[in-house]
Amino acid sequence: MAALVLPAGLLVSLLLLAPMLLLFRISLNLYSPTEMMVEATSAANYLRAVADPYYRQVLVTTLLVASGSTLLALLLGFPAAYWLARMQSRWKSFATVVVMFPLLVGNVVRAAGWLALLGNGGAINAALLGLGVIAAPLPLLYNTGAVVAGIVAVVLPYMILTLAAVIESIPRQAEEAAANLGARPMTVFRRVVLPLALPGVAAGSVLVFVLCMNTYASAVLLGGPQFKMMAPAVYDQFVRGNNWPFGAALAFILLGITLTLTVVGSAALGRRYRRGKLEEAA
Amino acid sequence: MTFSRRGTLAAGAALASAAAGLPGLARAQGRQVVVGTWGGDYGELLRQNIDMPLIAPQGIEVLQDVANADPRKTKLLAERQARRGTMDVACLSDTDMHMMAQQNALDTLDMGRLSRSGSIVAGLRKPYAIPHIYSALVLLYNPDKVTTPPKSFADMWDPKYRGRVGFSDILYSTNTFAAAVAGGGSFSDYGPARDKLMALRSLDAKVYPSNEALAAALKGEEVWMAPMWLARGFMWQKAGIPLRHVVPSEAAYAIVFEAAVPRNSRNKDQAYAYLDAMLKPEAQTAFADRMGYLPTVTDASLPPEIARQISLTEAEQARLRAPDYDYLLRAHTDILDFWNKQFKA
Repeated sequence: MAALVLPAGLLVSLLLLAPMLLLFRISLNLYSPTEMMVEATSAANYLRAVADPYYRQVLVTTLLVASGSTLLALLLGFPAAYWLARMQSRWKSFATVVVMFPLLVGNVVRAAGWLALLGNGGAINAALLGLGVIAAPLPLLYNTGAVVAGIVAVVLPYMILTLAAVIESIPRQAEEAAANLGARPMTVFRRVVLPLALPGVAAGSVLVFVLCMNTYASAVLLGGPQFKMMAPAVYDQFVRGNNWPFGAALAFILLGITLTLTVVGSAALGRRYRRGKLEEAA
Repeated sequence: MTFSRRGTLAAGAALASAAAGLPGLARAQGRQVVVGTWGGDYGELLRQNIDMPLIAPQGIEVLQDVANADPRKTKLLAERQARRGTMDVACLSDTDMHMMAQQNALDTLDMGRLSRSGSIVAGLRKPYAIPHIYSALVLLYNPDKVTTPPKSFADMWDPKYRGRVGFSDILYSTNTFAAAVAGGGSFSDYGPARDKLMALRSLDAKVYPSNEALAAALKGEEVWMAPMWLARGFMWQKAGIPLRHVVPSEAAYAIVFEAAVPRNSRNKDQAYAYLDAMLKPEAQTAFADRMGYLPTVTDASLPPEIARQISLTEAEQARLRAPDYDYLLRAHTDILDFWNKQFKA
């Protein structure tokens, strides 16, 4: 059976682990403006990233935007996922395709659409100006709100589809039984549906959180030049600064934090789910 | 194991075609030149004005390796140690090209092999590259809004223009230069830019993510002034954006786009033929006409209408200086860090 993992495993180790090991080695080197990279075994890049208030701020922004977007995607996605999962009509597969629709358009193309919509000369401002509602264009673009909106639009399908798969596996009878025993809809949701859907909430949130932490296109295009998240900061170091060692160190810090938070987060939710099951059994 | 008749035939045909193709491949290899260039207008103009009319008739096939400058630099650096490189001609800006020359990635050119080397404008000659086109850093302004034409970069700090000065984020280095010379700095001292940029920040200067975004802001009259390449200003004017330019009194900063031969190029003869063609007057005129860049040879003539819009006066020409490459090589990280962490933060 273990052999089944082999093809995928080989591919991953060749195309993912090997470059990552190389990148880790680079992160221990030192930068020199004239020689680009000097061989070394030093933690200087990591220390600099942690000590520099600028990069701490970039990290905080990244964490806030990622967790905010994940929460928003969960709040918006749960009702839609529930509706999709409980749908009986023959339009169900069509509805699923509609949910996936945003994924059919590339990230950059979608962001370009947002630019046309939210820009100072964009559709919304043009309409409001034309109607005389506002005198000067509203600053809809190049702020945190625009980035979060852009990210949520990208990640929502992942959240909805993950949640819907889990909600579908919750027997409808469980909800009916609760209702028969006098539970109101909110109570059914809180005491029955939500606890049983926790594995889906965990899986969807982890998936979405990881995507949000690594946001590049939305942050650059909708956040504008003053807005910084980690992925654009890494790119900046590699491409504009020619500082590969520091860029590599930033990349590993981002990886480490994302990994830690996802592991801790899913473990916590998992414990809660198991405890719920035990209480149910008892 | 059994061989089906069909399988045997197919394999035979494949072998035969491979064998027939091999000498052809070897021949093509000998008459090819791989040009590392930008895509877009630049790559297209190379194709139309150099590859097809000047290189193809010599029996040389041009393959464009299209990428932005940074990936191309990275490739040149990564291939430095290799015996056989993948590029025969590399196009880069003068500052980037200097960096590559410092990293020992480029050949010293044998000017005797270039029939056109005698026509190169004296101030633009380098041992490791030929100049292809050039332009100057100017201050663009909207004449409808900025009614007193500015004279210097220092005019950007006029409180009258609060919130009306725009920068392109990708030009952080030249933007910092403009602030430096406005504050009494020079090509070799960007130090005064720090206070000047922070002052401009409190005057609500705007930063746009790309040249195109800045163009849109100039067009929508969100901002009225911006430091920019004269050639870009020319293209934007052609696109109907209301703009004039001035070569600021503090300094005239030149940008030169150059072409060079990597040390490990496999087709050096063809590479030299290509560089020679880039210096031909007709090719030079075409780039001026479409993109507004100035010819780097003394014998290329411009249509008078274009010349009026993109040329510099003799006095401006005389003041034109290339950046201090060694200074930039050392200061580059600090300039970028200050721009990102202090000015934009």
